Amino acid sequence: MVLFLVWVDMFRQWLVGIGIPALPAEILIKTILVLIVIIFVLTNLIVLVWLERKFAAFYADRVGPNRLGPAGFLQFPVDIVKMLGKEDIIPENVDRPVFKIASICAFLTAIMGWAVIPLGKGMILEDLNVGLLYFIAIGSTGTIAFVMAGFASNNKYALLGGMRTAAQMISYEIPLAFSLLGIVMITGSLSLTEIVDAQKNVWFIFPQILAFFAYFVCSIAETNRGPFDLAEGEQELVAGYFVEYSGIRYALFMVAEYTHLVAVSAIAAVVFLGGWNAPFGLTFIPGFIWMMFKIYLMIFLFMWVRWTFVRVKVEHLMHIGWKFLIPLTLFNIVITGIGVYVYRMIAG
Amino acid sequence: MYGQGLLKGLRISIRHFFKKKVTEMYPEQKPNLPKRSRGWFELTPDKCTACGLCVNACPNGIISIESYKDENNKRKLVQYRMLMESCIFCGFCVEACPQDALYNTQAFEQTVFFREDLNRILYKAEPQSVQAERSEA
Repeated sequence: MVLFLVWVDMFRQWLVGIGIPALPAEILIKTILVLIVIIFVLTNLIVLVWLERKFAAFYADRVGPNRLGPAGFLQFPVDIVKMLGKEDIIPENVDRPVFKIASICAFLTAIMGWAVIPLGKGMILEDLNVGLLYFIAIGSTGTIAFVMAGFASNNKYALLGGMRTAAQMISYEIPLAFSLLGIVMITGSLSLTEIVDAQKNVWFIFPQILAFFAYFVCSIAETNRGPFDLAEGEQELVAGYFVEYSGIRYALFMVAEYTHLVAVSAIAAVVFLGGWNAPFGLTFIPGFIWMMFKIYLMIFLFMWVRWTFVRVKVEHLMHIGWKFLIPLTLFNIVITGIGVYVYRMIAG
Repeated sequence: MYGQGLLKGLRISIRHFFKKKVTEMYPEQKPNLPKRSRGWFELTPDKCTACGLCVNACPNGIISIESYKDENNKRKLVQYRMLMESCIFCGFCVEACPQDALYNTQAFEQTVFFREDLNRILYKAEPQSVQAERSEA
């Protein structure tokens, strides 16, 4: 989206033109861009909540929400009002500051990953040259919010739930990072923009199909979605770390989960599906649209998996993570290394 | 090979995703009920001989009829009442009716605001005509 960059540049020049110094102007521009990203994420959230309910219904041969607005799309203001209308209960003996901060932390860590995700050419808040590393690091930081919530609740179920979620997320961080390593080896860069540029001719899903599979499974576990939604097993596991949360604080955890879902979908689209590159030379459609299409394709996959499989047991979850995914991703790294070496030999 | 079951599951669920939905849009679209479904009861008063067989057939005793004998010593119906809150829709009353005067309709929307509304009066003779005929007899 060169046009987007041009607009930003025009705005910057206008700001300087009316006599604002360079640094405040830059801060103002960044603030506006951050706000745009946050609004974009929240808009996605509205769509996702509707989409999840609709898809859940479709997979169960039902129609889903259909009363409010076209195809029930206006359900979201009602849901929001319902959530806000609930009483914000804080139990007596909780660790108050930690309890209050935890839900905000969960949301913040989920949204901070968006700083490095490019939605189009140049549509990126901060083109870090260690973008992928930053994203993985921020994703791991999210774990602490769940531990905080579980610990501060002063409830044994919540504490166990928090521990369980932490164990799950930490275990799956490793194969997640490993699955992205193959891409880094091929491109020789951690910058997401460069990774997308390297996929001009062939998307990395084709040479890295194993890594894509591993990434997909890991990101399901990372976002606490089915079949790895051990953090949310209301019936079986008393929901876990957020049992004591109600109203808007509970909603923030859900918001964090969906934000994280869009983020991992975006990373998958950027790293494996060619980002804003158009397939089959269909370049007349803007890159941003392609990017959104790929993100929603990934989200569709996530939802397909969620509404198909049954929830796994916690030791099975650990087995899949440690005994299957880590060896698989290590194997992928080895053959990628050999492949890159052989390619260099041939290409000279 | 491991994972075949998972793939099979995915295939099945995606088929259901695109399948026609089974949900009935109830208040807008009324369901197509089978012919013999039992809803509210209706009475054809002209056919009814006030024999009282339906009253005897009812296991819950919800039917009560009032009648009198006219000049030809024939029973005439004055009032036919059903206490629908206790009805189990067994259909024995309809089966027992020798004249096929009592029958089921397909009306199944049985919600009312007040309990008294469930005390359904299927037939009530005009008070003047009853008085007149009684005085004649």
